[in-house]
Amino acid sequence: MQEVHTKIGDHFIQIICESISLIKMFEKNFYSFIGDENQQSDLAIKIENGYGVSFKDYEVEIIKQNNLIYFLRADYLIKFDPENKYATISVHDELALKHALMNLYSTFIVNQNWGLLIHSSCAIEKGKAHIFAGQSGAGKSTAAKLSYPRNLLSDEATLVKITTKGVIVYDSPFRSEMESESLEEQVELASVQILHQAQQNTKNQLAKSEALLHLMDKVFFWPHCQEETKKIMRLLTKLVKTVPVYEFHFKKDNTFWELIS
Amino acid sequence: MSQYIQKGKYEATELEGEWIILNTEQYTVTRLNDVGGLCWSLLTEVQTSESLTRSLAKKYSSVKNDEQIKKDVEEFLINLVQCGLVQRVD
Repeated sequence: MQEVHTKIGDHFIQIICESISLIKMFEKNFYSFIGDENQQSDLAIKIENGYGVSFKDYEVEIIKQNNLIYFLRADYLIKFDPENKYATISVHDELALKHALMNLYSTFIVNQNWGLLIHSSCAIEKGKAHIFAGQSGAGKSTAAKLSYPRNLLSDEATLVKITTKGVIVYDSPFRSEMESESLEEQVELASVQILHQAQQNTKNQLAKSEALLHLMDKVFFWPHCQEETKKIMRLLTKLVKTVPVYEFHFKKDNTFWELIS
Repeated sequence: MSQYIQKGKYEATELEGEWIILNTEQYTVTRLNDVGGLCWSLLTEVQTSESLTRSLAKKYSSVKNDEQIKKDVEEFLINLVQCGLVQRVD
């Protein structure tokens, strides 16, 4: 049995796993802290392989029973005990593990009222973070690629901590193409762009209510009870009260950054 | 006369005078302007289109056309029923 101590956001996570290949996936995608086994973990996860079949679709069945939450997909099963901050993930392969970890971590941070995973990319400019969100194909990853040489905090799922004092973005280990550079810094979120590809670059600030509507379907979340859904709404309300959200039309070159900084 | 009251489980938030109402059972979102938000707030108790019209006419005393207000309120109530946010109680 292997044990890995990792960190996502500001949460210390203990991973217990018997599969060498799954542990290797961790070492590639997640920070590994060697030698701090004494660190009190915020969440402990036991990972087992040999579950289910290959990826079929994104359909997740959610069952709540005896203070436990179960998330079932063809290629993974998560059993989460929020009270004891313990989870067991059974997976078919690496892809299933990646998706299951997102599912679990998103559930965990909402449960803790800590923050959200937002379907978007995020780049740093002059010490501030800027999010690019949008419908599928709107240009999240294009914007991320065109942001070079700026550092990227995410290319698919942005990890935001939301407090009444401000919104902080952490380096996201949940990547689609561009590997994390494991940035340790926490960066204040300065703006959110709702992307549309266009012939010209323009931006218009959205009313806060409209911004909230635009962001509601950009949160990675698997609703398992009404109380948790309310928490998302409250977290997003705090976000749009603190950070300006723009309708952002951009053309496919790096000139769009002129409108941001 | 039809009577109406808020229905179901929801989370409502006010932002710059507008209201966003999330129905947490159906996972639908409704956005209301300030007048709609006032009606929605009053619907925590049983209301009719007439009682709502009276409240609006009192609040917005510059608007003299009560008939038009009542017509708008009736339309609004039908919309809220369709959105699953209020129900008829008669």
